[in-house]
Amino acid sequence: MFAGLLFEPTRLPGEAEALRAEVRDFVARELPPDYWPNSDFNEGHSPEFSRRVGELGWIGMTWPKRFGGGERTFFERYVVTEELLAAGAPVSAHWIADRQSGPLLLNYGTDDQCRRYLPQIARGECFFSIGMSEPNSGSDLASVRTRADRVSGGWIVNGTKIWTTDAHRNHYIITLVRTEPPSENRHAGLSQLLIDLRGEGVTVRPIKNLAGGEDFNEVVFEDCFVGDDDVVGEPGNGWTQVTSELGYERSGPERFLSAFRVLVEFVRAVGDEPAPGEAALIGRLASHLMTLRRMSISVAGMLQKGSSPVVESALVKSLGNDFEKLLGELVRLQAPTGQVGLEKCLRQTLLHSPSFTLRGGTREILRGVIARGLGLR
Amino acid sequence: MDRLIAYTAERIFSDHVDRGVLDAAERGEFPHALWDVVREAGLHLVGSPGSGTDDGDLYELLKLAGRHAVPLPLAEVLIANSFLDEAGLTTIAVDGVAPWGREADRVVTVEGEMSVDFDAAEDANLAGESRDRVQLRDVRRVDVPGELYERMALSRAALMAGALDRVLGMAIDYATEREQFGRPIAKFQAVQHNLAILAGEVAAARCACDGAIMSLTSADFAVTVAAAKARVGEAAGVAAEIAHQVHGAMGFTHEHSLHHFSRRLWAWRDEYGRETHWQELLGRRVASGGADSLWEFLVGVG
Ligand SMILES: Cc1cc2nc3c(=O)[nH]c(=O)nc-3n(C[C@H](O)[C@H](O)[C@H](O)COP(=O)(O)OP(=O)(O)OC[C@H]3O[C@@H](n4cnc5c(N)ncnc54)[C@H](O)[C@@H]3O)c2cc1C
Repeated sequence: MFAGLLFEPTRLPGEAEALRAEVRDFVARELPPDYWPNSDFNEGHSPEFSRRVGELGWIGMTWPKRFGGGERTFFERYVVTEELLAAGAPVSAHWIADRQSGPLLLNYGTDDQCRRYLPQIARGECFFSIGMSEPNSGSDLASVRTRADRVSGGWIVNGTKIWTTDAHRNHYIITLVRTEPPSENRHAGLSQLLIDLRGEGVTVRPIKNLAGGEDFNEVVFEDCFVGDDDVVGEPGNGWTQVTSELGYERSGPERFLSAFRVLVEFVRAVGDEPAPGEAALIGRLASHLMTLRRMSISVAGMLQKGSSPVVESALVKSLGNDFEKLLGELVRLQAPTGQVGLEKCLRQTLLHSPSFTLRGGTREILRGVIARGLGLR
Repeated sequence: MDRLIAYTAERIFSDHVDRGVLDAAERGEFPHALWDVVREAGLHLVGSPGSGTDDGDLYELLKLAGRHAVPLPLAEVLIANSFLDEAGLTTIAVDGVAPWGREADRVVTVEGEMSVDFDAAEDANLAGESRDRVQLRDVRRVDVPGELYERMALSRAALMAGALDRVLGMAIDYATEREQFGRPIAKFQAVQHNLAILAGEVAAARCACDGAIMSLTSADFAVTVAAAKARVGEAAGVAAEIAHQVHGAMGFTHEHSLHHFSRRLWAWRDEYGRETHWQELLGRRVASGGADSLWEFLVGVG
């Protein structure tokens, strides 16, 4: 077997399955009656909803109890996240903090940082953004120019981050910066700083996307002071940390469920006795979904065992993102006319589809990661 | 799968399935020597009652057989022996077609008929594998497992999963060895990306197949087989296409052994229901529950 293809067959254990009904009841109760479900994890920012999710212990589920976590398994977390997404719940507020900022702090942060931030995150009261991309550094992340200069007691940050999802409504941003000038080793001299998005020296400007939404932003740092106690991990270790973060970022159900509501509405539109072509399309998409779920659950199993499945994660995201795009395109061609719900979902999905294969690492970059796993580079 | 069985099978298949055997089988010569070795090792009884192995082992063995393009009717023999007393070579017929029918001692049909008295006319699939046309004479009924057609479909999915793995390995090896423009073609990004897509399909096929194997004893077996046969069949097409593109003209020759695998992938994806058959079946099941139960259905079958 080849590296990156070690997807062990994995079943969700009973205690994880047991959560399903609870999450469904919760969503049925909590979704406002006029809310239109959307399975895209970037859509639907609701601090109130996130707080309610936190109250139930469904944020930071795998973290230690002393930091407000639930000490539950990655499988239990998997069930909660996929149920929330499938129902189209507004999860974007807490998503990033739960998925990657929290785990990053747990892995590399100080005890003090964990105590300061994790309990708030777990309560659904504290939201994080990802400060990686810059105007001139997208895929080539190691080329970031935002810099932090040493001063007494901390660092002074200058530079610009861009495409920062929800920076205008979240609390903190974990920012990848240069703490040493570029050298031969491109990956050296990078660090991660935890910065208050409402603090001094930080300006956040929303950027309208092609669908008309204002979800991502430009974040400008001008002589922004960051204290030593807000450096995440060791200064200079930023590249290793950022890479480990991406393992959490890439394998979850949000990487293949963004367009899920289109399928739901298509099934509604064609009714319980679909024509052969319609049935075949539903079956084809279902066979992909069932398979992607198996792969993603298998990765959850690897996370549970403490390994960092970088190649497997890239593979799930890459297959999953292609599927999200395919789903909308194939349904479009067979969509019966005059179905308001389906039409609405299709439009929404098409307008957001360009982002599926960009955010979290582009399709091309992921294929490069997989190729490396295959020993080709 | 039992490690010892896997090891034994891997060794036997590597030692005894070579170009010569494959080409001879395509000319219609049954590989007697290979069949004897397989029987001596007891591999023909994997998954049968009292063998100490189960259906899961049976399908794992078929993956290995697919990896080596084993030119025996192994799927038929193993599945027949899992519900009938072993009696020589038993093949299974569907729509009047049975692998190595003319060499078989016994034919069972997927509908549950059995005969030791039959005519068999030589025929083959597009991979040159024996698919003889059989006409049963003295027929009697036998109890076959309720989901025999599904079990046979899963055998093709397992064979494909194995062959897919092999094809990926061949493509990686070839790309690393073949040089153009002064470097291995594996160094070109376009080639790397094609291989990454191929790897994704291979992994997906394996997971889809494993899902159905995990569900062998569950009420959702038929549904998971539908998903597996459909998904693996789709992967087979993409994978064969990319593997050939990477191999250039060399892969289009009879000399190179890629076609032993790519032609089997093309054949197996059509046997026991091509993708659309299973997609329709699965789609109808999904739709019958209605839109609001769609998710529940998907997670329910695991
Ligand atoms: C909706 C959305 C939300 C986002 N949220 C965040 C966020 O919260 N925080 C954050 O930091 N970033 C965020 N991003 C940014 C995202 O991470 C980047 O878009 C991504 O890394 C690609 O960078 P880029 O857009 O600059 O494209 P570029 O890197 O300029 O790439 C342009 C094209 O060139 C291709 N390309 C680049 N390099 C190579 C190569 N070596 N080989 C082959 N092809 C190549 C790319 O694949 C792409 O197709 C978000 C993006 C989107 C769309």
